[in-house]
Amino acid sequence: MELLFQSEFNTVTKFALWTITGVIVTTVVLFFYTVGLRFATNTERKRRKCFLEKWRDVFAAAALSRDAALLLELPRLVESEHAHLLEEWNLARSIVFGDAADNLIVLAGRIGIAEIAGELLEMHRVQSKIVAVQTFGHLGDKQRFDDVHALLDDLNTALSITAATSLVEIRANRGIEIVVPMIAKRRDWPRNRVSILLREAGSDLISEPMYRNIRSASDDDKKYLMQFARLMESEVRDALVEELIRETEDPGLLTSALKLVSGYRGVPRIVALTQHKAWFVRMQAAKVLGRIGQREHLGLLESLLEDTEWWVRYRAAQAITSLPFLGPNELRQMQQRQKDRFAIDILQHSFAEVGLL
Amino acid sequence: MTMHDFVIGGQWLFLTYFVGINLGYLLQNVIAAIGIRKYLQTAEQYEAENVFSSLDIPITIIVPAYNESASIITSIKALLQLEYPQFELVVVNDGSSDDTLERLIEAFDLREFPEAYRASIKTASVRCIYRSTKARNLRVVDKQNGGKADAINAGINASRFPLVCVVDADSILQSDSLGRVVRPFLEDPTTIAVGGTVRIANGCTVRLGFLEKVALPRNFLALIQVVEYLRAFLFGRMGWSPINGLLIISGAFGLFRKETLIEAGGFNPKAIGEDMELVLRLHRTMKEKGEPYRITFVPDPVCWTDAPEKLGDLSKQRVRWQHGLGEALAMNRSLIGNRDGGVVSWLAIPFYVFFELLGPIIEVLGYVFILICAWFGWLTFPEAFIFLGLAIGLGVLLSTSAIMLEELSFHMYPKFSQLLTLYSVAILENFGFRQLNSYWRFKGLVRWLVGAKHQWGSITRSTSLADQ
Repeated sequence: MELLFQSEFNTVTKFALWTITGVIVTTVVLFFYTVGLRFATNTERKRRKCFLEKWRDVFAAAALSRDAALLLELPRLVESEHAHLLEEWNLARSIVFGDAADNLIVLAGRIGIAEIAGELLEMHRVQSKIVAVQTFGHLGDKQRFDDVHALLDDLNTALSITAATSLVEIRANRGIEIVVPMIAKRRDWPRNRVSILLREAGSDLISEPMYRNIRSASDDDKKYLMQFARLMESEVRDALVEELIRETEDPGLLTSALKLVSGYRGVPRIVALTQHKAWFVRMQAAKVLGRIGQREHLGLLESLLEDTEWWVRYRAAQAITSLPFLGPNELRQMQQRQKDRFAIDILQHSFAEVGLL
Repeated sequence: MTMHDFVIGGQWLFLTYFVGINLGYLLQNVIAAIGIRKYLQTAEQYEAENVFSSLDIPITIIVPAYNESASIITSIKALLQLEYPQFELVVVNDGSSDDTLERLIEAFDLREFPEAYRASIKTASVRCIYRSTKARNLRVVDKQNGGKADAINAGINASRFPLVCVVDADSILQSDSLGRVVRPFLEDPTTIAVGGTVRIANGCTVRLGFLEKVALPRNFLALIQVVEYLRAFLFGRMGWSPINGLLIISGAFGLFRKETLIEAGGFNPKAIGEDMELVLRLHRTMKEKGEPYRITFVPDPVCWTDAPEKLGDLSKQRVRWQHGLGEALAMNRSLIGNRDGGVVSWLAIPFYVFFELLGPIIEVLGYVFILICAWFGWLTFPEAFIFLGLAIGLGVLLSTSAIMLEELSFHMYPKFSQLLTLYSVAILENFGFRQLNSYWRFKGLVRWLVGAKHQWGSITRSTSLADQ
C-alpha cells in the first residue's frame, strides 16, 4: 500500500487514490457503526423486555387494588431504567381512570416517580423532557405547573403540545385559559392532538374561552379555530356560528360556520348564501337547507340543481331527497319536470343512492 | 492537444463527476439522517396517542387496474380493511382484456349505478360505474383503455373526498399506512402531496393481502433491488423532502390534495413517468400561483411492492424509468432556472439533469474510457484499477450509508444474517449489475431522445399477491 502511494502517479491519479482511501475508511467505519448499532439495539430490547417482565405485573396489580399499590414489594430499580419506568407508568396511567388512576398515583409516590421525572426534566435530551412533562401531567403535580408552563413555548412541537396537555391535566381551568389562546399561534401542533386535548378537558370548560378567542381572532385564525368549535357546548357554539354567519363575508369562514349550523337560527342569511359567488359556500348552504327541511326552501333547492358546480347540484339533490315531506312519487315528478340535463342526472344519482330507482 | 493531455483531461472530468455526484448523495444522506431522526422523535410521541379524531381528512383510494385478474380480489379485500376512519375505494378498470372486471363484479356483488359522473379532467370514455352491495365504500369505474394515468384521472373524477391516494393494484399496504401519510396534511395545511417509502415484498410472507413477515428475497436481482430501494427512498427522497425539493412520489403509493391535482390538470396520460411528471407539474403550478406549498415524504415503510426477478423485466422497467425521467424533465423545463423557483429550480432539477438524467452517459463513457486507455497503454493497469475501484468504492459507501439509515430508523430486517446479506449485496451489485443498470438507463435516455412510445408495462410478478 505504501508503495502504491509513493509511485509515480500523476496528480489526478494520486487524488483518486487518496479519495478511494477515504471512501474505504468511511465505509468500514460506517459498517462497524451499523453493526454496533444492531448490537446496542438488541441489548436495549433485551433489557427493556426484562424490565417489563418485572414491572408490568406491579402496575397491573397496583391499578386493581389500593392495598397492592401501598404494600406490594417493588422490584429493584437501577438508574438506567428510569426512562423506561416513566414511559411504562405513563402508558399504564393513560389507559385507566378513577380509582385505578388514583392507585397508580399512590404507587408513583412509593417509587418516587415525581423525583425521577424532575431529574429527567433537567436532561438535555428532548425525549427525556417529554416523558417528564407527561408524567407531571398524569400525576397532576401542581408544584410543577410553572415548569411545565415554561415549556409551552418550546420550538419542539412534541414537547410543546405535551406541555399543553399536561398543563390542562394539572390545573384544568387555568391550563385551558393558557392553552386556548396558543392554539391559533401554534399551527405546528397536530390538530388531532389539540382535538383530543380539548375533548378531554370537556365542553363545559372549553366553551367560554374558545368563544372569546374565536370572537377576538383575525379571520385567518378564526377559520383555524373553527375546526375545534364542534367540541364546544351546543348553545355557545350555535350563538357563535350565528354571529359569524351574520358578520363575515370570508368564504372560508362562512363554510366553517355553515358546517356547524345545527338549529334554525339565521335562516334568512343562509338562504341568501345559496347565491354566494364561492361554490363551496353555496354547497354548504344547500346542505344546511336540506337539514332544516322546510317546504318554503324547496324551490330554492330545486334551482340549485342547475348550478354550474357539481358539488352544489349534488348537495342540493341530496337535500331534496332527504326532505321528510316528499315521497317517492313527488320526487319522481320533480325529476320529470326538470329541463336541465345536469339536474335530471344528479337527481337520478341521488335517488339511486337511497334506493329509489 | 496531445494524447497525454486528453487522458489527463478525461481523468479529471470523470473523477470530478464521480466525486461530485457522490458528494451530492452524501449531503442528501446527512439531510435525510437529520430528517429521519426528527421524524422518529415526534412519531414516537404521537404513536402512543394514535387516536383518530374527527379532524382526520376523508380519503379516496384510487386503484387503476389493467389485466390484474390474478391479484385484484386479494388486493381490494386488503385495501377495504385499512385502518382509517373514513375512506372510499375507487377501482378503475382501464379496459382490461382479461376478466378483471368480471371477477370484481362477482366477488363484490357490483351493481350498475347511474352516477352523475363529472369529468373535471378529460379521460377516455367511461362505460359504466358500479357500486358494491357488499362494501358500501367500494365503487368500480369501467372505462375504455387509456393508460394508467388516464385511469387514475377517471378515478379522480369519480372521487368524493378532498384527498386522493393513488395505489398500484399490486401494492401491499401496511394496515395503518393512511394514518401515517395523512399526518403531514394535518400538521401543515399547505401540504399538497405526500409520498411514503416503498419496500420490496419479494421474499416476505403475505397473507390475505397483508404483510405477515418481513424477509429478504432469495432471488439475487430482487435482493439488489432491496438495497437500491433503501438508497432511493431513505436518502434519495428523504434528503430532498426537508428542503421542499422532492421531485418524485412513487406511483405505487402517493397521497394528493384533489383540488390542487385537478387544478394542475391531473396525471398526464402522455407521460411515461406520470408520477414524476405530476410532481414536477405540481411544483410548477404552485410556483406560478405564488402560493406557499409543501410536497412531503414520510420515511415510514407504508407500501410493499413486487420487484421484477427476471433480467428482461428489470431491463424493461429501468429503460422505462429513464425514458420517463427525461420526458418529465423536458415537459416541465420552464422550472429550470426559474427566478422564483427556489430549491426546485436551482438545486433539485439541475441535480436530476446532471446526475440522474445524464449520469448514464458519463458512467458508460467513463468505463469505456478507462478500458480503452488501459488497453492502449495510456493508463497503467494500477491506474485503471484505482479509477474503477473509486467508482465501485463510492457505490458501496452510498449503500452502506443507506443500510445505516435503515438501522437507525426502522429495523425491518432484524436478523444479523440479514444485515450481512445486505452488506454483501451492497458490494456485489457493483460488479456487473451496476454497469448493466447504467447501460439500461443509457438505452432509456436514447429512447427518450428518439421519441419512442410506451404503453402499460407488464412484468412477471412473484406470486406474493396472487389471490389466496
